[in-house]
Amino acid sequence: MEKNLAKDIGFWVMLGIGLAVMFIGPMVWGLFEIMQITQYVVLSVYALSLAYIWGFGGILSFGQAAFFGLGAYTFAVASINIGETTLPFALSFILPALFGAALGYFMFYGRLSDVYLGVVTMVVTLIFWKLINHTAGPEYSIGAARLGGFNGIPSIPILNVPGDAGAWLDPAQMFQVFMGILIIVYLCLRLIIASDFGRVSVGIRENETRASLLGYDIRRHKVIVFAIGSGIAGMSGAMWATYQTFIDPNAFSMEMSAKALVWVMAGGVGTLAGPILAVILLQWLSLKLGTMHILNNYFILGAILMGLVLLLPRGLLPSVRMLAERLWHMGRQKMEENAASRKATSDV
Amino acid sequence: MSDDAHILTTDKLLMQFGGVTAVDNVDFSLKEGELRCLLGPNGAGKSTFFKCLTGQLTPTAGTVRFRGEDVTGWNTHDIVNLGVGIKTQVPNLFNGISVYENIRMAARRKHLKPMAREKAEAMMEKCGVAHLAKREVGLLAHGQRQLVELAMVLAEEPSLVLLDEPAAGMTGDERDRLADLVLETARSAAVIVVEHDMAFIRRIAKFVTVFNRGAIFREAMIDEILSDRAVQEIYLGKQADVAA
Amino acid sequence: MDYALIIVIEMLRAISWLVLLASGLAIIFGMMRVINFAHGEFLMLGGYITIMSHNAGVNLWIAMLILAPLCVGVFGVLVERFIIRFLYGRILDSLLATWGLSLLMVGGVTLLFGNTVQGVSTPLGGVSVGEYQLPVYNFVLIGFAALLMLSIWAVLKFTKAGLIARATMQNPDMAETLGIRTTWVYMATFGIGSAVTGLAGGLLAPLTGVVPSMGVNFVGQSFITVITGGASMIAGTLSASTLLGSISQGMTFLTGPVYGDAALLLTALILLRVLPQGITGRIFKKSL
Repeated sequence: MEKNLAKDIGFWVMLGIGLAVMFIGPMVWGLFEIMQITQYVVLSVYALSLAYIWGFGGILSFGQAAFFGLGAYTFAVASINIGETTLPFALSFILPALFGAALGYFMFYGRLSDVYLGVVTMVVTLIFWKLINHTAGPEYSIGAARLGGFNGIPSIPILNVPGDAGAWLDPAQMFQVFMGILIIVYLCLRLIIASDFGRVSVGIRENETRASLLGYDIRRHKVIVFAIGSGIAGMSGAMWATYQTFIDPNAFSMEMSAKALVWVMAGGVGTLAGPILAVILLQWLSLKLGTMHILNNYFILGAILMGLVLLLPRGLLPSVRMLAERLWHMGRQKMEENAASRKATSDV
Repeated sequence: MSDDAHILTTDKLLMQFGGVTAVDNVDFSLKEGELRCLLGPNGAGKSTFFKCLTGQLTPTAGTVRFRGEDVTGWNTHDIVNLGVGIKTQVPNLFNGISVYENIRMAARRKHLKPMAREKAEAMMEKCGVAHLAKREVGLLAHGQRQLVELAMVLAEEPSLVLLDEPAAGMTGDERDRLADLVLETARSAAVIVVEHDMAFIRRIAKFVTVFNRGAIFREAMIDEILSDRAVQEIYLGKQADVAA
Repeated sequence: MDYALIIVIEMLRAISWLVLLASGLAIIFGMMRVINFAHGEFLMLGGYITIMSHNAGVNLWIAMLILAPLCVGVFGVLVERFIIRFLYGRILDSLLATWGLSLLMVGGVTLLFGNTVQGVSTPLGGVSVGEYQLPVYNFVLIGFAALLMLSIWAVLKFTKAGLIARATMQNPDMAETLGIRTTWVYMATFGIGSAVTGLAGGLLAPLTGVVPSMGVNFVGQSFITVITGGASMIAGTLSASTLLGSISQGMTFLTGPVYGDAALLLTALILLRVLPQGITGRIFKKSL
């Protein structure tokens, strides 16, 4: 577990794949594929935010969508008002992070835990959802941006080159920038996790009492972890907003929170690569099913989820890893047996 | 009485749960560098008293002072950071991580990375768990876990060490090593040991505090305590009297 | 004076609404610490059974009070046997599996009945209170909520089954050594909790109509009520419903339904901050 990051092959493989996709992708894929994969990228960043706070901080949030939505709306309102997207994008990380710190302070210094913590995060998301849904009238605007209520906010500016408001990114460029962001987020998270701070967070996840017996203030730790996750989720919300040029209260929906939970659980809690894999797989599946009209989309997804939990409770990545390890061991045993039997016969 | 030479004192410490008084107005004091054992039958209030010292419980009334400073009701991590090492009754360890990593995390509180590594290795040697360095703590036997936890406590070089039933579940060898470690620690730090294991107590105890029904029943040197009729009675009940 | 009466009745209705929504969940959570994320869909199922069978000619009351709880109860037992049983003690897994179940149910119902809202008019008409008109149905809701709480309490307190249930709740291992088949207890509990939810769904159907996606709206409120209430089935549900219901209804009177909803959620937040184990985690600790 305390592998040196530089020696972790998996890390370099992920980085390699990421960079390859980022640079080679646009050359190989057509516009349609690029736009689809951009979706995966944005949702992967979102999934990573929960993967980090849950798998490496022990914080199970049922309301990650709160920050996703907050980031999306922050970006929308700010970019419509300012006309340029660079500052709004930065704000879409900062504001949710600050809100996450405040909420975290409220929760962790109040000694909330497990289920109760989960419900509070869910409630916060619900509050956002309900309030935003009712902002349909023109009186609900921030500056030049109407919040739009259940109609949402249309015509959100596309990400532009910093400093040049007119230079919008085309789909291929947006894809590359987003890929770059995903890679940077992955890198930063791995670095944090390998650092002393990260080890303590994992310790807190393992045994809170032991962590405080060592003298660590676990409340402060959790607030910081939670704030980081909130910022990342917010940023992914902004990415979503600018990718779709549209955002509505569904960004705050329970479904959005639940999706994050599914991706992390299916991918494997305690991994970063797993949830990314799960995003790609499950989103692709949804799309395919949506076009097939055989059985209902929801029906199949639900069945898959139940199957996953009952059959692969540790998630995809750990299960695959376990399977691979078992096969590896079986293979080695076989080789040793063969070598031994060969030696025995040759002794004759 | 001045608190000068006292590292830990309690003043009329009271702990009540609903209608039950678990710790009944206890006045306790421990000198710097002293080794004290807390004894008493089950339910006497030793562990509850212990938890009031560690911050795991907030007393109903009364005060706890560490080197004169009022630490009553403080958070555990704040108390630990004053220089108190705590080993809980049920071992609290990072189960999914290796023995070495557990101890290193403790050592890291007091030292920078390279020094922490050295310290951790030294601690593992000292506590006799060096051969288990890479093993996952969750998979160890109970007695081994206790030793690992002790190593973690000592790695932070506390000036007051609180041990709640450290010998529980240990083999004879482990117990001997534990006794040596406690005695060695007591040379440079104050130590409080809550224990049931009489064989272990006999090896390490000097001055003993006996609890009964939430209050201090008797405080004396170990030999006096062992031959004290009244103390025997509270352990065995009145049957001892009848049998005699 | 009349207006005051109206307010009281509306408050009671709001509280009853929460009691009905949350009771089934509270029974299951209180006994087995299992979170049924498909709770909203169980309600939806009760509603659909009620309305569909009524449309097919069955008397509305029979559909509501007998058919719905029966069918959803049986469904609950099947769910427990085939899914939940494997996930005891695994809170996260049971959460996710039941979330999958909820998706499955939404999809299934959509396939069977389509996506449009189906409704039935609220029975029994209205009654005059001074110069105001109130639906009589409100009293039906209040009555059933009270009846429900009373029956659960009576069963727990006075029957052998209730004693067995309480024993299993407090200490399942001990119960096993006394010869109680805890697996049966869990199965029965899940079935009863589902039946109660089915009943609630049936009762609420005339008010809201049914549509496959309606579960989402109720899950939030139910969860919040149960968790804020804490571990005790009855005291928890009652205290949480009363507090949340009256505050939210009060807010609605003053400012309208939007802020009424928000007030409910905010109250829950504050409550959980002050009492992190729910109301009955601290107050009324040993109650049923």
